[in-house]
Amino acid sequence: MTKVLVPTVCPYCGAGCGFYIAVEKEKASGIEYMPDHPVSQGALCAKGNAALEILCHPERLVSPLKRRGEGWVRISWPEAMDLVARGLSQAKKKHGPRSLAFLSSSKCSNEDNYLMQKLARLLGSPHIDNCARLCHSPSVVGLNRTLGAAGMTNPIPDIASSRCIFIIGSNLAENHPVISRWIHRAKDQGATVIVADPRATPTSWMADIFLQLEPGTDVALLNGMAHVIIKEGLINRDYIDRSTRGFEALAEAVKEATAERTAEITGVAAEDIVHAARAYAKSPASSILYSMGITQHSTGTDNVQAVSNLALICGQLGRPGTGVMPLRGQNNVQGACDMGALAEFYPGYKKAADPKTIQYFSAAWSVHDLPLGPGLTATEMIEAAAAGTIKAMYIMGEDPANSDPCSENVRQALESLDFLVVQDIFMTATAQLADVVLPGAVWAEKEGSFTNTERRVQWSHKAIEPPGVARSDGEIICDVARSMGLQFDYPHAASVLDEINRTVPQYAGITRERLDAGSIAWPCPNADHPGTPILHCSGFNLADGRASIVPVAFRPAAEAASSDYPLILTTGRVAVHHNAGSMTRRSPSLISREPDLYVEMNREDAAALDVQDGDEVKITTIRGETAAIARLGDRVKKGVVFMPFHFPGTNILTTETTDREARIPEFKVCACNISRRD
Amino acid sequence: MAVYIDINRCIGCRSCEVACQRVHGGHGHINVHYVGDYAAVPVLCHHCQEAGCTMVCFSGALHKEGEVTAFDVEKCTGCGLCALACPFGVVWTDKLAHKCDLCQGREEGPACMATCPANALSDDFELAARRARERSARAVALGGRR
Repeated sequence: MTKVLVPTVCPYCGAGCGFYIAVEKEKASGIEYMPDHPVSQGALCAKGNAALEILCHPERLVSPLKRRGEGWVRISWPEAMDLVARGLSQAKKKHGPRSLAFLSSSKCSNEDNYLMQKLARLLGSPHIDNCARLCHSPSVVGLNRTLGAAGMTNPIPDIASSRCIFIIGSNLAENHPVISRWIHRAKDQGATVIVADPRATPTSWMADIFLQLEPGTDVALLNGMAHVIIKEGLINRDYIDRSTRGFEALAEAVKEATAERTAEITGVAAEDIVHAARAYAKSPASSILYSMGITQHSTGTDNVQAVSNLALICGQLGRPGTGVMPLRGQNNVQGACDMGALAEFYPGYKKAADPKTIQYFSAAWSVHDLPLGPGLTATEMIEAAAAGTIKAMYIMGEDPANSDPCSENVRQALESLDFLVVQDIFMTATAQLADVVLPGAVWAEKEGSFTNTERRVQWSHKAIEPPGVARSDGEIICDVARSMGLQFDYPHAASVLDEINRTVPQYAGITRERLDAGSIAWPCPNADHPGTPILHCSGFNLADGRASIVPVAFRPAAEAASSDYPLILTTGRVAVHHNAGSMTRRSPSLISREPDLYVEMNREDAAALDVQDGDEVKITTIRGETAAIARLGDRVKKGVVFMPFHFPGTNILTTETTDREARIPEFKVCACNISRRD
Repeated sequence: MAVYIDINRCIGCRSCEVACQRVHGGHGHINVHYVGDYAAVPVLCHHCQEAGCTMVCFSGALHKEGEVTAFDVEKCTGCGLCALACPFGVVWTDKLAHKCDLCQGREEGPACMATCPANALSDDFELAARRARERSARAVALGGRR
């Protein structure tokens, strides 16, 4: 019996770990580790080890379905395409192309995302987005403004050469476990690790300095650190003069942000703030790693800019061991954004509101009448659906009915659409609301390129066929496009990458042939270019090659504790689950390890409410209520509670308040009330 | 040989548990335990020199093969004495005994070691101590970490 090892990229987080799928008799028979992988070096987290469990899962969608009454009937692909074309065309004809909205997927390949945004725009709709909106849209806005590029500046292995690692708003030990090996390596070399988080987590176990701040006070903390650094003369004056603009304004803006004042707002001891600021500024190479704890706030963009400011005044950019590192949560969030599956950007971050962009892509795609943006963001699409201006939606590989805040409203909004087509691998809560459901393929059942959190582009090979008559997402999009009368002639993923090479300058040199030899980090402007693992080594892609220091003022979170809702709820992830949980909750070895929605509470709060460890409690916010198991401990401070968002209950509670620029909802802070259920 | 733990490195992610289960047809032999909110410890067979499980095993299923505490499934009666005798609770029985076999037959060595994202598991008994000594040597030479 012959066994073939097919190299693939893990479908879960943005670390981009590689592993082989062993294929025997056209079936996936096991996983083999990949010791020569540059990031994971053969390691895999629990989710990676369980990845094959979703391949032949009995609940996989195996045929196109159409709604009949309360149930579903299987239909053929031609009938499905007919229904989709009719549904989308009718809305377009009756209400214009701007009544259509498209949600692309940060779980799908670059090629799938490129096709999806192209389909949306060729149909005349600017409304295309992906769930990066819910995780890193503030990084796209904030980092583009301050540093001129929205991506991790340095590669993951480079963290090992860092001498001070400042992790803020990221529980990477659970969410990107392999990154911890690089942090430990830096620690072995004497690096100082600072962790800022409202919760004690396995990530804070690695910390030398742990700053347990109040949820939503990140700007205050970062400004306070900047104050200390400026006051103590620890800034990098040369770097500031040579490579930045706006320092004086920042110095003025943080003048009052003394360590004592910062301590009052954040709840972190003043001496720890000073200590952390000195460690970060003084070390010869310091990096900042951040994630959703920075972005998922009504001040998300401000938070990101405050992170940039800190790096810029200390000159901690453009060298090994330095950098600003947004850690991406899904296997292809970076790629989906690069490919222009975003309301405000065409591929390659060309501004959708700029007529030059329209000109460029009209020429590249040989079409006219491309829609000028920006379109509606993922969160705005839902509002527009509720308001009746969006009439039809095509959602691929996303589950907004679970993953968006205030999920009851989302459900109603999607139900009110004239037509909804959902393309996914399972019957998700969103798919339940669709008129037509199309069965897509998972990573191992299709080929394509994926861009991990470091901007590293990797090719993932097809190991097995999709179940039933399910098809690769790229093929489905092409079929939908053709049934709508568009020319979409892409015989395989490589032919799409070919077009990406021509139209996305950052990807110009990342060709299919080169990816066989190994991964390449964008920007890679031509076929001889080695790629760019470290950004900003010689200036910034902004006016005069200078980065912008943009002062930000601390604003409290939208919701504060009140007498009716006295506790602050913050949300996040756990090691054995992923996002809305449509995959991990169906994976036996993962769900068995974390089967229930729980709420983590401080012992003191619990005692006051007469709640014991393991009790079932009711969590209420102004938007709704949900039940969960109480888990007591000292991980959160008094007054703060935590819930993982992998289960449907959590986002019933969260607020719809969004960042005013990036439109990301404030998943990380809302006021709640907890009571015993009996 | 056995698999040793560097407790400074474990992040409690349970990758080793899932990997072990995966390569042993659903029966895992390593368990991660959380100690309060401050640490996690993977617990697995120490391959003891004088292994209690081998001493009580009257059928000879559990026995020493050099340094390894080996298990011959053909001889196991499923009596469960080994589970009682093991001071670490890492030999368990359903119908038969189950324990760490160091992924015998897996060329690359134990799966838990290979998969550990944090490099907390290794077959080098000295590694954790060596890492600690190197850290303190550096701290002494450089005048402390900060």
